[in-house]
Amino acid sequence: MWPTACSSDDDALTFFFAANPEEADARQRVVDAFQRRHPDIKVRTLLSGGNPLQHMSIYCAGGKCPDVLMAWDLTYAGLAARGVLLDLNTMLAQDKVFTADVKADGIRSLYDTFTFYGGQYALPEQWSGNFLYYNKKLFAEAGVRSPPGRWDQPWSFGEFLDVAKALTKRDRSGRVSQWGYVDSWVAFYAAGLFGMNNGVPWCTPRMNPTHLNFDNEAFLEGIQFYADLAHKHRVAPTSSDTQSMSTMDLFTSGRAAMALGGHWRYQTVDLAKDLDFDVTVLPTGPKGRAARSNIGTTGLAIAASSPRKQQAWEFVKFATGPVGQAVTAKSGLFVPVLRSAIASAGFAEAHARIGNLAVLTGGPTHSEGMPVTPQWPKIASLMDRNIGPVLRGTRPATSLASGLSHAVDEVLRSP
Amino acid sequence: MFVAPNLTAVAVFTLFPLGFSLYMSAQKWDLFRPAKFVGLANYHSLFAADPLFVIALRNTVVYTVGTVVPTLLISLAVAGVLNRKVKGISIFRTIIFLPLAVSSVVMAVVWQFVFNTNNGLLNIMLGWIGIGPVPWLNDPKWAMLSLCTVSVWRSVPFATVILLAAMQGVPDNLYEAAKLDGAGEIRQFVSITVPLIRGAVSFVMVISIIHAFQAFDLVYVLTGGNGGPETATYVLGIMLFQHAFSFLEFGYASALAWVMFAILLVLTVLQLRLGRRRAAQEERSWA
Repeated sequence: MWPTACSSDDDALTFFFAANPEEADARQRVVDAFQRRHPDIKVRTLLSGGNPLQHMSIYCAGGKCPDVLMAWDLTYAGLAARGVLLDLNTMLAQDKVFTADVKADGIRSLYDTFTFYGGQYALPEQWSGNFLYYNKKLFAEAGVRSPPGRWDQPWSFGEFLDVAKALTKRDRSGRVSQWGYVDSWVAFYAAGLFGMNNGVPWCTPRMNPTHLNFDNEAFLEGIQFYADLAHKHRVAPTSSDTQSMSTMDLFTSGRAAMALGGHWRYQTVDLAKDLDFDVTVLPTGPKGRAARSNIGTTGLAIAASSPRKQQAWEFVKFATGPVGQAVTAKSGLFVPVLRSAIASAGFAEAHARIGNLAVLTGGPTHSEGMPVTPQWPKIASLMDRNIGPVLRGTRPATSLASGLSHAVDEVLRSP
Repeated sequence: MFVAPNLTAVAVFTLFPLGFSLYMSAQKWDLFRPAKFVGLANYHSLFAADPLFVIALRNTVVYTVGTVVPTLLISLAVAGVLNRKVKGISIFRTIIFLPLAVSSVVMAVVWQFVFNTNNGLLNIMLGWIGIGPVPWLNDPKWAMLSLCTVSVWRSVPFATVILLAAMQGVPDNLYEAAKLDGAGEIRQFVSITVPLIRGAVSFVMVISIIHAFQAFDLVYVLTGGNGGPETATYVLGIMLFQHAFSFLEFGYASALAWVMFAILLVLTVLQLRLGRRRAAQEERSWA
């Protein structure tokens, strides 16, 4: 059902994406809906291996670039800068009605995420920013008040820490039996998210920056607060503590009260039928002005070398337009990007277990972007290497101002 | 005519990639845009402008020494034990050679469980003797040691096979004569076995150095594609992979590959020359 190579033995439109089996089924539903409407365009899906960027690069370098490609906010710029992706402005200019609809119904910041060097290199299809899942039963048992249910009702780092402390339990030997907080995202990205929630963006400008705010005092305070959760306050597990059990397993088995993650974790949480959970917003630091998630988003792009650009455009339009987004909303596997789909009854029905639905529906409009640069793989590698000691508690976050900050800026300024 | 298919295979799968990577090492190429000739710039950047190259080289040397020396010592001892004519020795030989049949990635995944800080077998056993949990893979101070341990565990069976085969070729009458002269087992091993299997030892050393220098799979699975924590296990193999497949800098990665090749070539030639010189000296002393 999921071929893994681009054979050229037919004229089908090829669609490359990464997904777990359930997400792949949801995407297939979008493809099926498209084919019912466009029976003349055959679509062949190509499921990515472990590293989508490598997989895509090898396809494209071998002259077999899929026609439609899934694009990630953090990595698409590398492909766009190398001329792999088609500037969709060429298509949007010819399709005035669709363009007007998307502008009216879409969330601007998500579309802008895929705007690079003045080109529109993908159209967003889902929002995958981060928020907090929390265990309602553990909160009630500890007599802790429920956290806020909307992005415009922030709670502070201090309040969050008090709650995490109240919900961390230890046995007689001092070993933690229940964590107040766990993180299911990439730890050094999550640390930056706390920096961002202390009132400082990752960078200015967001597109092709020449400097990231790793030397900003408030940003570093946010990172330090995040690192202290595990090493100073002991309300979050260290990397050693989570070697034998994933953080989401800790949360779904009731051994963690709060978990940071995006909507991609919803499916795992939803499968835990005995878990009484809800979602809440990220805490805001003393220098932060409002609670913010990150603009994690994936979009659909068209290969510049595609011989089927018009068919590919029809597919991209469908999947990112009202009908495809409605299918996406009903799947319960993604947060769509059109306001009409986010506010639809189908989306609400698919998330019936969530009380604070506003955290999801308001997420895309309360998100701030992470840097968009072709150099992102190098930046991520530097962050892993330099933020690691801070997260292990062996160095203070202030050390990043001299080490990481200079190294990152050097990479960003190199051609 | 008969060797034509083999020659073709060598040309296509060995000579062409070698030549192409040498050509690429003088280019700037990211797979998508046309390659641009940059002369020796990639080599210059590697030696003069990339602080991670020095770190990767240092780590690779540490890893190589930390793998090759224990491998040689352990496999010599193990081969010596397996060379004895004891009942049931074939069962022990089978057990010792088992790691040879396991893929490196599978082995690394199993060792990840062994090295688990809170619930790993190793720390549980250390706990029995009152030693607290050691962060084997999470702490930069321990990560390289852990890596070398797995590498030695993987390398010993192969080295033992070679050394055991060589030991079985040592004539029995030499041992009998030594016994008559009153030499004990250890003395026989040091004065007869080791000198007579020097060729095999040298071969094992060369092969082990080459394998250790090219380390990638174990590191990638055990401590990740960035060679962490921090730069503790950032070896040349990881650096090469990262530049080629994460950063899409194929020219730079090719230059690094050729630098690695040059280092290995120099080491191997030096080792062979030293071996020959020693053999010649011994021949003279026998004469």
